Amino acid sequence: MTVVCVEQLSVHYDKTPVLWEVDFEIPVGLIVGLVGPNGAGKSTLLKTFIGLLRPISGGCTFFGKPYKEVQKKVAYVPQRTSVDWNFPIHVLDVVLMGLYGKRGPLKWIRKEDRALAKQALDRVGMLPFASRQISELSGGQQQRVFLARALLQDADLLLMDEPFAGVDMATEKALMEVFVQLKEEGKTLVIVHHDLTTVKNHFDWVILLNSCLIDCGPVAEVFTEENLKKAYGSAAYLVTETKKLTRSKTSGV
Amino acid sequence: MNPFHNADFFSFFALFFSRLFSWKSLAPDEIQFYVLSLIAIASSLIGTLLVLKRMTMLANSLSHTVLLGIVGAYLLLSNTGSLGPLTFQVLIVAALITGIITTLLTQLLHKVVKLQEDASIGIVFTSLFALGIVLVTLYTRNAHIGLEIIMGNADALHFNDLKVSLGVAVANACVLILFFKEWKLICFDQGLASSLNFRPSLFNNLLMLLTSATAISAFRAVGVILFLALLVGPPLTARLLTSNLRKLLVLSCAIGITSALLAIATARHILTVYSLPLSTAGLVVTYIGAFFLLALCVRNLTFRKISA
Amino acid sequence: MLEFFVDPILRAPTIGSMLMGLASGLIGCLAFLQKRSLVGEALSHAAYPGVVLGLVIAAAFFPGGISAAILVGAFLSGLLGLFVIHQMEKRLKIASDAALCFVLSVFFGVGVCIASGLQISHALWLQKIQVFLLGEAATMMDGHIFLYGGLTLACVLSVISLFRFLEILHFDPEYAKAVNLPSKAVHTILYILLMVAIVVGMRSVGVVLMSSMLIAPPSAARQWTTKFSSFLILSGALGLLSGFLGNALSVWSLAPLPTGPMIALVATAICLFSLFFAPERGFLPKLIRVTHFQLRCKQENILKALYKKRTINPNPYLLWRMRTKGWIKGEKLTPEGYSQAEKLVRLHRLWEVYLVHMGQESDRVHHSAEEMEHILTPEIEIQLQALLDNPTQDPHQQPIPGVSR
Repeated sequence: MTVVCVEQLSVHYDKTPVLWEVDFEIPVGLIVGLVGPNGAGKSTLLKTFIGLLRPISGGCTFFGKPYKEVQKKVAYVPQRTSVDWNFPIHVLDVVLMGLYGKRGPLKWIRKEDRALAKQALDRVGMLPFASRQISELSGGQQQRVFLARALLQDADLLLMDEPFAGVDMATEKALMEVFVQLKEEGKTLVIVHHDLTTVKNHFDWVILLNSCLIDCGPVAEVFTEENLKKAYGSAAYLVTETKKLTRSKTSGV
Repeated sequence: MNPFHNADFFSFFALFFSRLFSWKSLAPDEIQFYVLSLIAIASSLIGTLLVLKRMTMLANSLSHTVLLGIVGAYLLLSNTGSLGPLTFQVLIVAALITGIITTLLTQLLHKVVKLQEDASIGIVFTSLFALGIVLVTLYTRNAHIGLEIIMGNADALHFNDLKVSLGVAVANACVLILFFKEWKLICFDQGLASSLNFRPSLFNNLLMLLTSATAISAFRAVGVILFLALLVGPPLTARLLTSNLRKLLVLSCAIGITSALLAIATARHILTVYSLPLSTAGLVVTYIGAFFLLALCVRNLTFRKISA
Repeated sequence: MLEFFVDPILRAPTIGSMLMGLASGLIGCLAFLQKRSLVGEALSHAAYPGVVLGLVIAAAFFPGGISAAILVGAFLSGLLGLFVIHQMEKRLKIASDAALCFVLSVFFGVGVCIASGLQISHALWLQKIQVFLLGEAATMMDGHIFLYGGLTLACVLSVISLFRFLEILHFDPEYAKAVNLPSKAVHTILYILLMVAIVVGMRSVGVVLMSSMLIAPPSAARQWTTKFSSFLILSGALGLLSGFLGNALSVWSLAPLPTGPMIALVATAICLFSLFFAPERGFLPKLIRVTHFQLRCKQENILKALYKKRTINPNPYLLWRMRTKGWIKGEKLTPEGYSQAEKLVRLHRLWEVYLVHMGQESDRVHHSAEEMEHILTPEIEIQLQALLDNPTQDPHQQPIPGVSR
């Protein structure tokens, strides 16, 4: 079964063509790494998936349907740095936010929900921190809380933006363990990743992106020197140059 | 005859609390207290959201541009050459005009003309406020009206203002309580909010509208600039003392109300004893500043206790 | 016009407003570049209690020095506000917008509170203080001009002497770190200069609208130049102009209006003009350029169609433009038109080869190439040919014209 189907997706951001006719399919039950240089459009791709950005052309479906119809089956974990960690809220409340989508507006949180949240925290090893202020957490702990929140959404597809950024080794290991458990439960994970050295360890499949899709498939086939040269080498320089040129032409600079 | 005339600080409180349940007609001092308290509640609730979303400068912008909204509303709705009593009609029209113009122009400068965000905000509110001052001075033929708008005139409050500020306070409280978890999510994590289809942009627009309405309800009592103190001061003070969002909201309101009460009592006291007519609005803001310092001391002391 | 500088009643307000414009336009640039323009808004309001206390103390003890006392009071009060903002941001980890708004409103409120006590007993004093809220240049005397002139001169000289430091600090902060530039000291001096500019400007534009003179001139100047020295000079000049015109307008207007709003409106008008009409960065010139590009793309598409001998139904206006460019004669391609069309087809097919090389499917590359053929420059064309080893055929086995092996 195809979980994610992307068809000729082109997305512009700030008058720059960030994604060029990207086209791929992801089958179910895999841990997929989304890899590419800065500005390659990885975060943009995830944001387009959840409807935060509208494509110029093309589209994407999840479990064969548009995002709006299967929203409850998809969990999005934004970049850790996109959130204010000085916010007056404690860990359990952050995790409970995972249920907001299921509960809907104007509904309150119930006792059973708190129990579920505590279970999720336990799974990521953060139960002792349930009543802590989030400002007291380290980077790794923050990421675990984010993961617990995603677990609570009980989704079949998890989209995560750089979960391993700025995180210690122990947390990276703990996160990977949970990811593998999720895979064994039949879930699919698409993870934006920046560290090329750990790609082969973490992922079954890789999507190599540099505004255009370079390749998509099993790690061993895709993560080759030739492909990496295309993504990061001198050929890639042309991608950046042409994007800049397009932007200046379309904004009249 | 104002029963509070010639009262000093302590007799003010004695009189105030003794009259609390007697249902006699309200003295001017009491009207002041209720209006200021309601404004304080409305401002603390909205202000907390604005502080958490880092939109306080936009709120500053709105509180200046409400002047133009009010002038516009009066020009559209009435014929007299003065800024008469505020009705709900005027309030809503003015709030809508203000909110829409300010946000549209700021977005236009920032997103379309590509001016940096801080400069966009600054140019929009200074120019609209300047325009408002010019228009209102010409319209009312009163060269000093600008000052009253900046500083408010708490002594001129009457029963109508009570109705308006009650309405705004109730509206703010309802919106906050009904959508409490939505506000929490949108203030904390816009990314997740969007992915769950919680429509952050809709809530942002609502927030701007409520801020405009609160600013308009407050401008007669405290003026446009001191309104900002009511918006920002109590939430920041409460934040020093608690990290629980519910407690923060309640504590902010309490600080606002207490500052109002103390300010009115102090104003009455100083008028009676020293014959100096201090601005009640100025006193409210001074007390808010004092509470902030107090909270700072309390926080430092508790830190020392914990680390000791 | 000349009477503004000669008439004894008009000259002090005129020169005073111009000095204000110069100082705030100049110093405002520095906050603008750091994207901290709104600090000026907070500090100008924070200066208000200093104005009140300065006047009260001076009027009570040494009435001769009221103007100087007001300036000193405003300056110190503003610096206190700056200190509080800094502490709130660094020690209490309060977000900077909240810190600014807090200091802005609370300091101002304290000032209002103290000033209100003077309502009955010292109404004249209160009038003098309220001049500083919305500005009233008309009450300026020649004596004030020497004071403000001196302060403005100090600002200008400081900026000139620190010019190199400022350039490095703003445009290359990593280099500044690498050479151990005393950035903290420079930043402190900048904030002091900001307070001086505010103090100079308070009387003409008022504390409430002071920030417009710190934001509008730099925003306008930015549209006309990218050179740092020109930016500073132009911003000061535009501030000077706004001060003069605003003051003149409030003199000419039939109703008694405070000068502050007039100056702010003039400064904003100049800024809006610059934002929309400046030749390189203005909004309208950009719009015109975009429209030109879009028209050019359409014309180039017609060229290609003619080259490939396809039947088309072109817009007569576009055909006319192509004739004036010398691309076609009647409805046939000229030699220039032919080589231009060839270039387009070459770029199109080169780009398709490139995309396939990068991993795209050959039946998916046409659309992107349709767009890129209008955008690729000769330099990029050379790089493409080098990278792809001078290809002679595109992914659809069509020849790439004009590529020699």
